[in-house]
Order: sequence, then C-alpha cells, then structure tokens
Amino acid sequence: MIEPVTDLAPITALGGTVPRSEIFGALTLSENAGLALASLALRKDQEMPKPFGLPLPEVGKAVSMGGLAAFWTGRGQWMIEAAGRGETDFAAALKAEVPKACVSEQTDGWVAFDIASTQGAAPIEALMARLVNLDSTGFGPGCATRTGLEHMSVFVIRRSEDRLTVMGMRTFADALWHALAVTARRLDD
Amino acid sequence: MLIPHPLLGLRDSQEFTYFGDASLMWRPDPEAPEAEAAFCEYVFLRDNPAGVHRELWFHEQGDRSWLVVTRDTTTHEILGAELASDVKGAAQ
Repeated sequence: MIEPVTDLAPITALGGTVPRSEIFGALTLSENAGLALASLALRKDQEMPKPFGLPLPEVGKAVSMGGLAAFWTGRGQWMIEAAGRGETDFAAALKAEVPKACVSEQTDGWVAFDIASTQGAAPIEALMARLVNLDSTGFGPGCATRTGLEHMSVFVIRRSEDRLTVMGMRTFADALWHALAVTARRLDD
Repeated sequence: MLIPHPLLGLRDSQEFTYFGDASLMWRPDPEAPEAEAAFCEYVFLRDNPAGVHRELWFHEQGDRSWLVVTRDTTTHEILGAELASDVKGAAQ
C-alpha cells in the first residue's frame, strides 16, 4: 500500500511559500496569490445577469464591489475576480449565481501582479508607456483590456489612479515578473 | 500600423493575426448539388487584388474577436474594420 503524501506544501506561481513583493522607488510590485478567477460568457440572446449583485461592465471597463470585481474580456464575456478566494471553488459559486451562462475556472491559468504607486498616477503611466502599446493617459481608473507585453498576452486593469494589475499566463509568471521588475527598476534611470 | 477596432478603438496591429480573404466566411453548402466545384473554389482559389481587399484579422492578444478589415494592398492603408459576427449577421 502506498503511504499517503501528507507533507505537501503549497507554493505560489513564482514558486515561493509566500507571495513575492518588491519595492522599486515609488512602485511596489506584489504577487496576488489569493485572487480567484472565473470567466463568464453569456449564451446567445441571454439577458445580462448580475452575479452576486455585481453590475457587469461595458466594453473595455472594470468594476469592483467589496471583494468582488469584474472586467470585460470580449463581447458577452467577462472575467470575475474574488479577492482572497483562490483556494475555494469560486467557479462553482459563480455558476450557482448564473446557471444559464457558461462559467470556466481560470484561477489556475493566470498569475496576478498588483502594482501600487506612492506618487500618484505618473509612475504607473510611465511604466505602462514602456511596457504596453496602449494610450496610458486614456487608460484611466476603471479601464481594463487585454494586450501584448513582451510577446506575452496579458490583461491590464487600472484599479485606480495609483494602482494597476497585470495578469499573465501562470506558466509565464517568472518572465512577466522579470519584465515588470526590470522596467520598474529602470524608471528612475 | 493601427487597426481601428470597432469596439476598442485604435489598437496595435501586432495584437492581431492575419487570416486571409474575408470570402472564407462564406463556406459553400455541402448539401448543394454543385458542392464539389464550390468547395474546390472555396479552398483553392483566391482573388489577389492590387488595391482594396477585405480580409479577416483575429484580435488574438485582445478581445479574441474576428474582424473584417478593408485594406489597400498597394499602400497598406486600413480603410475600415467591422466585427465579422456583425458582417455575417447582417448577411443572414
């Protein structure tokens, strides 16, 4: 009989036992390991639902309410986020809210890095200008989009003037951290 | 080069992948009596115009939508872009 393995230790997408966090001048880059994600896609002609009372955002926008948030990912499609619920079956909870829609688990597919600025919007916009080909001044609080970053496909969400989240594919966690960290470190050069 | 995405505004063409002639959207009816000839044309024959061309672009690093982009093949000027689902919906 095979002995059950009881000494498994959970690790984050970057391989650590605790989420990584690092400060670069005015910017703090931190791994958000607890974020639960599930995608929601409407069926044809389905009415717009309000999962957990959350109003789903318009094209290119993001909304948040308490520990929940949603951003638009495509026509009739959104990603729903739940802070601190990464280890729960969030997709099942969402499916129970919107039984007619298509729901897919996404937590294990993505890694989320939060970027916070202590000096307002300027460092966030300077970082964006170096990393993504988007109009960073037009990408204000409440905007979210998918784009390319160093050949990786990422979601970029402007949470507020001084906060930005970048989500990339979990298998690229190290490469994405590297891209963000190197750019943030060189902002003052 | 920027693609005027109908929902998202001007976006970098590097976010897109090019698929080809927009006529690929109109797959022949396999039940039709002339289906074999129609499929031969559909699969192998393409117009190759020097000038205005309608073509399919996929917004791969974006909202994953298919667009019908009108482009001048001699100048690479992008003359317009529509959602392929709208183009197909309007035709049906």
